[in-house]
Amino acid sequence: MNQKIKFVKPYLYPFLVLVISFAVYFPYYGAPQSMFWDENYHIASAQKHIDGVMYMEPHPPLGKMLMALGEVVFGGNEKIDKSKMLVTDYLTGTDTPANLRFTGYRWPSTVMMAASVLFFFGILHRITGIPWLAAAFSSLMIFDNALVMHARAAMLEGIQLFFILAATYYFVRIATDWINSKRTILLKHYAILGLLVGLAISVKVNAFILLLLFAALFCIEHWPAIQKWQWLLLAKQLMTRVPVSIGCIALVFFSIFYIHIGMGKNMKQDRTYKASADYQQRIHDGNTWSLSTFAIGMRDNWKYMSEYAEGVPKLDYCKPDENGSYALGWPFGARTISYRWSKDVVDGETNIYWNYLIGNPIIWFSVVIGIILSSSLILGRFVYQTPIKDSALFGWISLFTGLYLSYMIAILQIERVMYLYHYFIPLIFGALNLSLILTYIFRSELISLHRHTLINLCVYIGLIIAIFAFFSPFTYSLGLTEDGFNLRNWFQFWHLRPVY
Amino acid sequence: MNITLNKNSIASLILAITVGAIIFRITPVHVTKNITVIISKNRVSITDIHQKRDIISTRKVSLDHVDLYYKGKFGHPKLGNIAKASDDFFLDIDQTFKVMQDGTYEFLVGSDDGFTLVINGKKICEHTHDRPYSIQSCNIFLKGGSHRLQASYFQGFGNSGFTLQYQTNGKTYWFGDDSPNLRLD
Repeated sequence: MNQKIKFVKPYLYPFLVLVISFAVYFPYYGAPQSMFWDENYHIASAQKHIDGVMYMEPHPPLGKMLMALGEVVFGGNEKIDKSKMLVTDYLTGTDTPANLRFTGYRWPSTVMMAASVLFFFGILHRITGIPWLAAAFSSLMIFDNALVMHARAAMLEGIQLFFILAATYYFVRIATDWINSKRTILLKHYAILGLLVGLAISVKVNAFILLLLFAALFCIEHWPAIQKWQWLLLAKQLMTRVPVSIGCIALVFFSIFYIHIGMGKNMKQDRTYKASADYQQRIHDGNTWSLSTFAIGMRDNWKYMSEYAEGVPKLDYCKPDENGSYALGWPFGARTISYRWSKDVVDGETNIYWNYLIGNPIIWFSVVIGIILSSSLILGRFVYQTPIKDSALFGWISLFTGLYLSYMIAILQIERVMYLYHYFIPLIFGALNLSLILTYIFRSELISLHRHTLINLCVYIGLIIAIFAFFSPFTYSLGLTEDGFNLRNWFQFWHLRPVY
Repeated sequence: MNITLNKNSIASLILAITVGAIIFRITPVHVTKNITVIISKNRVSITDIHQKRDIISTRKVSLDHVDLYYKGKFGHPKLGNIAKASDDFFLDIDQTFKVMQDGTYEFLVGSDDGFTLVINGKKICEHTHDRPYSIQSCNIFLKGGSHRLQASYFQGFGNSGFTLQYQTNGKTYWFGDDSPNLRLD
């Protein structure tokens, strides 16, 4: 019996976290029974994969491929004529086949996002070594209204965050093995990390921020040499690690495109996108899987992506219906986006059913406080030489603070309009950072199970869950009266807009 | 009780302030529900209280009394703009009340724009078109017992407001508040 308990115990917390995550992500799964936001694009693209129709898109194709896979396995739309979806990039309501179910297209994003909490748990468990604490802080990811609402749709972010967290977990695993057990970091570790980062980039290119993980891994591996300024040794090491890392990213990225180009065996009507005459001829000849076609197709896809990016409008707050927002407002939840709403009037009372992109304010504001605390700690260390009580934890806090700030600085350089969900990546880094900075502050109390600290932690987690439930009508499209809406309209800068 | 200031107590304090602020923010404004009004948003402009209605949506709101003129606009002092619209809506009241003593009762109707006031099926006063906020006195002799009051109001464009009061024994009461001589059923 004891043996059995010993065997089961390590899996208890991750299992619990996973069950709670799925219990949060799957209620009302498939609702609303209509598309919203970028689903109109992604579902049309995913269907083209299923029917072997060539298309080009501003984002790399992996996310749509997985949506297509979800539709093939779980869709249940086999008897529906979906031909109209193949001749448009933006599927409107009138072109949407009647009775089309969206559960298959939404499957990968929902499942992968729900499952990615395991990586979040794993990262914290690896770093802190306290499984119950890692499970408690996993609430930061499970109970965020914006993540849940967005990832339950056929969107790219849920899929991308899965790969980002997988890559981050793998990085933490290699690094903690090296730090704790002096297990050598090998080239194969860089290669596997490269494959995972490549998958994330193959969904959306803003995952390029993960390149910083390679720099961090190199620093961890060669810290003694860096301290001793052994530049020759470092240069030699870079000669192998950089090509392997970049090579693996490129291998995944181009392999995905190879499959994408190979699967595009026919064109519909005059929908040639930026396909050159040569590429079109090869599609016409059925020669889509050859390497020469790949080279031409890749060039044409690249051209399409870069020209599309140049054509994206800039942020314009003067537009009355502007949904985009400035990155500096994101940490505070500005601006929210009304993805979709419908209403009914019962007995003189209007109920609105929203899909509103709004974060859990407790989590989002805590993440900001976490960044302020960790930045202060880092500055204190380097400016005032403040002693560090746990150098390993300090290192991890510095890393996640660095990742958060680097992403935000990079995104501030982009002129095209951006949206609140572009904050999801730093939000995850920020949530990890918050967990670690709180662990840093209360480490001895947490290890000794100090009662006051545990009560505070329970109240904090309870507050996160309660506020998630309070804002859940926006997440699950539950009916809200205007009074209910106003009770949730906490800050003007959120730009929540009623439609009564 | 000895409370020491340390990181745990500071964390508790921050959590308590956060919870308190949230509870304060999400506690709905409460008024006694004495009277129900029905607000109907019209599809087209309203210029006359008797014009044919073309209603888009309606909503029922419970109030303590009919005091809907706040800071120069249609709105309840606590509940705010209960119409959730600034222009082109009707408001209707259909309420029975009990009179304790025979006598002449004076109803004071303030409106911007028009209104009608009907008691026991008899129109006792009205202003059919738009106007700035003005109070109109409407008298009626009522015997002791139950009576029915029906009031309609419209807001067309611009400033707005609607109030209904009554006077008895030289005192003025909001319609909705009980007095020694008149109370709602």
